[in-house]
Amino acid sequence: MPWELIFFYVIGAASVLCALGMVLAKNPVHSGIFLVLTFLNVAGIFVMLGAEFLAVIQIIVYTGAILILMLFVLMLVDPEDLPSFSSAAPLQRNLSVLLGIVLVLELAAAIITRTSLGAVGPDTPAAIASVGGNTQAIGLRIYSKYLLAFEITSLVLTVGVIGAVVLALPERLGEKVQRRRDTISLAHARGSDGLLPEGPKGETPITVDPQREAALQSAGRTLIMTKDPDAYTRVGVRQGRPDETND
Amino acid sequence: MADQPIWVSFIVAFIVLNVLLISMAYMTWFERKVLAAMQDRLGPTRSGPHGLFQPLADAVKLLGKEDLIPAAADKWVFLFAPVAVFVAALTAASVIPFGGTIDFWGHPVNLFAADLNVGALFVLAVGSAGVYGIILGAWASANRFALLGGLRSAAQVISYELILGFSLVGIFILSGTLSLRGIMVEQSRSIEIGPLHISNWFILSQPLAFVLFLIAAVAETNRAPFDLPEAETELVAGFHTEYSGFRFSLYFLGEYINMIVVSLFASTLFLGGTDGPGSDSYWALGLLWLFLKTIAFLFFYVWLRGTLPRFRFDQLMGLAWKVLLPLALFNIFITALLRIIANGQLF
Repeated sequence: MPWELIFFYVIGAASVLCALGMVLAKNPVHSGIFLVLTFLNVAGIFVMLGAEFLAVIQIIVYTGAILILMLFVLMLVDPEDLPSFSSAAPLQRNLSVLLGIVLVLELAAAIITRTSLGAVGPDTPAAIASVGGNTQAIGLRIYSKYLLAFEITSLVLTVGVIGAVVLALPERLGEKVQRRRDTISLAHARGSDGLLPEGPKGETPITVDPQREAALQSAGRTLIMTKDPDAYTRVGVRQGRPDETND
Repeated sequence: MADQPIWVSFIVAFIVLNVLLISMAYMTWFERKVLAAMQDRLGPTRSGPHGLFQPLADAVKLLGKEDLIPAAADKWVFLFAPVAVFVAALTAASVIPFGGTIDFWGHPVNLFAADLNVGALFVLAVGSAGVYGIILGAWASANRFALLGGLRSAAQVISYELILGFSLVGIFILSGTLSLRGIMVEQSRSIEIGPLHISNWFILSQPLAFVLFLIAAVAETNRAPFDLPEAETELVAGFHTEYSGFRFSLYFLGEYINMIVVSLFASTLFLGGTDGPGSDSYWALGLLWLFLKTIAFLFFYVWLRGTLPRFRFDQLMGLAWKVLLPLALFNIFITALLRIIANGQLF
């Protein structure tokens, strides 16, 4: 038993420290790394609580998919282009303080009812063991008691997916969108420059080729102008480095 | 399955770890020899008989090289990233069962480091955590080729992990458990159809899932023909362009251990793990069967590398989302439907 307690304190302290690091880190990618570590530590706490399924799903969904996508974006964005935390509107800041207090109160209420008042919840170890384990217990809950909430969540996610598909549609359908600057098209080999009169295909419209420059001049609509390739290579270079001032 | 003192589990885990490291070294030898045979060459022959000491020579060479850190690199992330790949690859092996409980001079010993009740998902979770090593190492290198390789890796792994997970759902439906040990035990049953006794390997009941798993596993381990993160013709060396010496060798170790672990995982899930003639009476025979099955998968990996050219990136993503994902969903649907019919819950 004391070993479990020691493990719990180590993992708990690590997750709190990582969460602090996530908020305090200057570099957004470092924040992302701290968030990954926080999630891994929280997964460790789930395992200690006997909720292995939650732990594994937490790692697969949050660490393995969502955070990778977030890091994907953070790596491409120049840290200087990001809005700073202090620029948040006063409403946002006040609301966040309020919501934080509400969250702390909720957690305190939960802890007090479970420990001081000794009111044990319905999911005792015996109840979970009687349905065959925590995976089965979660499955039964989601697909019976919380079925409606579960289905609504999947509906919301489907809406998100459809939204993403609409945003990523090729130009012929997305023609109304006038300015789509610096978008990354993974799926369309031609990028979104399909309406150029002529010139080499299959590249982003960077004016490297004189023929292409002429084509850009005579194009009948606003074209996507991406940055010069060298503008992308400042990734990982921290602010104030001498080589940055040279260019 | 017997409860055992935790130190016995540690010893089993230690043995598994060392066997994995040694087999990883000989996997490089195996790959070079097989590729050489496919390309009508000899492969390594100089160090030792048939070049058998080549992996050792390579290890010494890699460890002796200078550990370079680019001036613009994010130092701590750069140093840490390769370790993440390596650790994740080894951690996944801890839930692979190498047999049941054996009697070791009167002591019951479990032939697995841990029997997690969500073992199959654990392997996927650890695999997805290992990707951070690749994309963070790529970002921290401050090199555009490395970053491109890392971004490709992120997109590729997210897409193919989905398929890897979905291809297993059919097995979970049929076996009713997420534990790798449980899945293996389920497959050691035999189905009797008239006079025939057929083993219940999931490759027979889930052939579509097996094909999907195989494709997704190759992509997940960044191997040819899905090795776009390190496509040397376009990206110099991809995500590990700036790595040298010891840290490069950690990436290298991670990739090969991942291949071995995925092969063990596939053998356990689809080919019955240690199941085979005589494996019920002699555990060593079970280990031999598992070894042979794993070698078959590893040979398949090398064979693919020797045969197929690399995919283009949009083909890779198109294949995942437009072909494999619908097939995986179809497989889940059919399996669930058949299961309900078999249980008599539908009619």
